[in-house]
Amino acid sequence: MRPTLSDSKRLIIKNLKKEFNGFWALKGLNLELGQGEIFVLLGPNGAGKTTTLKLITGLLHPTEGEIYIQGIDIKKEPIKAKSYIGYVPDEPFIYPKLTGREFINLVAGLYNVKKEDYEVRLQKLFKKFDVGEWIDELSEGYSHGMKQRVIMCQLLLHNPELILIDEPLVGLDPKTARTVRQTFLKLRQDGKTILISTHTLSFAREIATRLGIINHGELKFTGTLKELAEISGQKDIEEIYLKLTEQ
Amino acid sequence: MNNFILLVRTKITALRASISTLNLIRTLSFIFVFGTFLGGSYYFFFRVFNYLMSVEIIGPVLMNKILQMAFFIFFIMLLLSNVITSMSTFYNNRELQFLFSLPISPGSIYLAKLFENCLYASWATMIIILPLITAYGVTTRAPIIYYPVSIISVIIYLIIPGAIATGLIFIIRRILPKLKSRDVILLLFGLILSLTFFYLRVNNPALLKVFATENQQDLLRFVENLTAVGGIYVPSTWLSHIIVKLSQGSSQSRFYLLLLLSVTSAIMIIAFYLARLFYTRSWVLVGEYHTRARKKGSPLNRYYGSTKTFLLKDILIFVREPIQWVQLAIFFILLIIYIFSLRKTPIYFTVPVWRTIVSFANFAYICFILATLGVRFIFPSISLERYGVWLIGSSPISFGRIIKIKYLFNFFVAVVIIEGLLFFSNLLIKTDPGFYIILPIIGIFVAASLVSINLGLGAHFPQFNEDNPSRIASGTGGIIAALASIGYVGITIVILALPAYNYLSNIYFRRPLNYPLIILSITGFLVFNIFTIFGPLYLGIRSFEKRDI
Repeated sequence: MRPTLSDSKRLIIKNLKKEFNGFWALKGLNLELGQGEIFVLLGPNGAGKTTTLKLITGLLHPTEGEIYIQGIDIKKEPIKAKSYIGYVPDEPFIYPKLTGREFINLVAGLYNVKKEDYEVRLQKLFKKFDVGEWIDELSEGYSHGMKQRVIMCQLLLHNPELILIDEPLVGLDPKTARTVRQTFLKLRQDGKTILISTHTLSFAREIATRLGIINHGELKFTGTLKELAEISGQKDIEEIYLKLTEQ
Repeated sequence: MNNFILLVRTKITALRASISTLNLIRTLSFIFVFGTFLGGSYYFFFRVFNYLMSVEIIGPVLMNKILQMAFFIFFIMLLLSNVITSMSTFYNNRELQFLFSLPISPGSIYLAKLFENCLYASWATMIIILPLITAYGVTTRAPIIYYPVSIISVIIYLIIPGAIATGLIFIIRRILPKLKSRDVILLLFGLILSLTFFYLRVNNPALLKVFATENQQDLLRFVENLTAVGGIYVPSTWLSHIIVKLSQGSSQSRFYLLLLLSVTSAIMIIAFYLARLFYTRSWVLVGEYHTRARKKGSPLNRYYGSTKTFLLKDILIFVREPIQWVQLAIFFILLIIYIFSLRKTPIYFTVPVWRTIVSFANFAYICFILATLGVRFIFPSISLERYGVWLIGSSPISFGRIIKIKYLFNFFVAVVIIEGLLFFSNLLIKTDPGFYIILPIIGIFVAASLVSINLGLGAHFPQFNEDNPSRIASGTGGIIAALASIGYVGITIVILALPAYNYLSNIYFRRPLNYPLIILSITGFLVFNIFTIFGPLYLGIRSFEKRDI
């Protein structure tokens, strides 16, 4: 049965578990994200961050548990639920034999973006992420940063309500990294919900409304930076992280 | 040399690790598939050789010619396949960025990659050659030494096309550094095929003629005149001499083995030095070329709906991937040659009954061609989504719809191919009017089933860690798809052969039509096709939807 939700709940995860050949990557994760929230998931390598994001996007199938996006059960109505999601993977794969522009057009087609919105948004996004003439070159020659910029453009083109990003700053130059930060803050103001998995602690400190520490497949702590500082007895985010992941 | 051994050892360890991850069911299916194929091929060759042994005078001569012909064809096919696989093994391979950053000589990288390339390009040939030489040995009652020595000889033989192909690529890349991969492949294909044609024309023109006689003496003279297929200067002749002399227990086999070994070593040394001179530079230039590829006037630069965008994406990627369309082009060239060769069918095929049998055999052959095209081009199409699978999986479009889009497009292309081939071949054969109408209708069902088998199994056995479509098609899933496709064609032919024979008997020998048999066969064919059209597609969609990406 679909749970009763207030309109502000963008994402609800209940007792989410994932097993890979006897190894439990997630051991019962519970999380709720509201409208206009930026939730940053921190944790060491192999803690379960990417698995969590992939389960929400439907790239992985949960062993147990439920996921609701805008109140829609992703297991029962995956297509409807996915239409609200924008996802950026940790490795920004683009078809090597397509140009960046062709790839973005493919995404626009898959998400059925309206033609009139498409033209306006595309030009704005190209300007925002400093996309040059290279957008018409085959992506097999792109650097990691160029690919990340294309991925950011495709992400925002279809105006998702829930944005899921795995390591957003890897490979970006400082200028683009700042643009990404500012874009996320603006999206939050517009009422979008963002779930980020990252190792960049300074970025987490600047941008997060709430943080979650995940380790060994369990969400150990969630709260604001202030709350986590109180729990850990540390002030600096790096110290907080190290302290909480040790426990 | 130490670096080469280290690189090869790493490859073998990785291969062993990937084999050890196979579960029991997969391992058993793998063994079953290979076992069936090897056993089936052995049985087929054994029956052919056994029959030929029983034919006086001409039989043993023909057996040797078959060996020479087979090894010569394998040699040319291996040259072509080594050219294609070399482009991805030696240039478009992400591992090379790591290898070239290490303090390893380009010669060591070349040798390790040559080993890998020969393995990929030749394993399919090897599993045909193994039952062939075993059946030959058993039929001729060869001594026990025959088996290990002939296998070693074949392995040595398989290195030659790899070394020649890579050597030629390095030379072309050095002389014309800005040439695209596609153009290098085309240039080499043109060179290899035209040299083969001219060599045969000069050396053995009788091979290129279609022989038309019913006189046994003429036939024997013709076969004897063929001497060595491809001539005495090609390695295929030496290999066949090794096999034949070994089976007879003759010491002459040692001479040919030494000849093969020394020529292989010489070619490898030349290729090795070419690699040392040109490989690194040409690899760097190919990398630089990628960054300059501009596609401003692309049809995908405009906005369309999801189906059209997805289709256009598939077509553009296909057109921009030389490995894909060059192989398709070669297929078509060979098919055109085949169609036109039908005009020169031997004299006794002009009798109406023979002509009709030939047109039925032609239909079977065209179905096998479509099965081959399906395995090579349709089976890998899901695996080739590897770069966009995260996008497809996370976007609001179902896997089922993606597979259906691919199915409809491939079905359309398959129908065009099979109907086109049937129309032109039947026209040249001057087939029976009844077959003119029936065969194209059956062709539509064959196209629908073969596309479903290859697409469905492609979705069931995806290989998202592989870039090269040829390698995807030659993996475990590809072999299963190939066997399923061949099995489908075989069963179709068996179901249709009985009513076709009855129909011919009625037309040419005035025997009565057996209506229950005809109705039963048509019903059987339709039921069988309902299963083969919907079954694999359903299996593919279900397993793809359940898969973790």
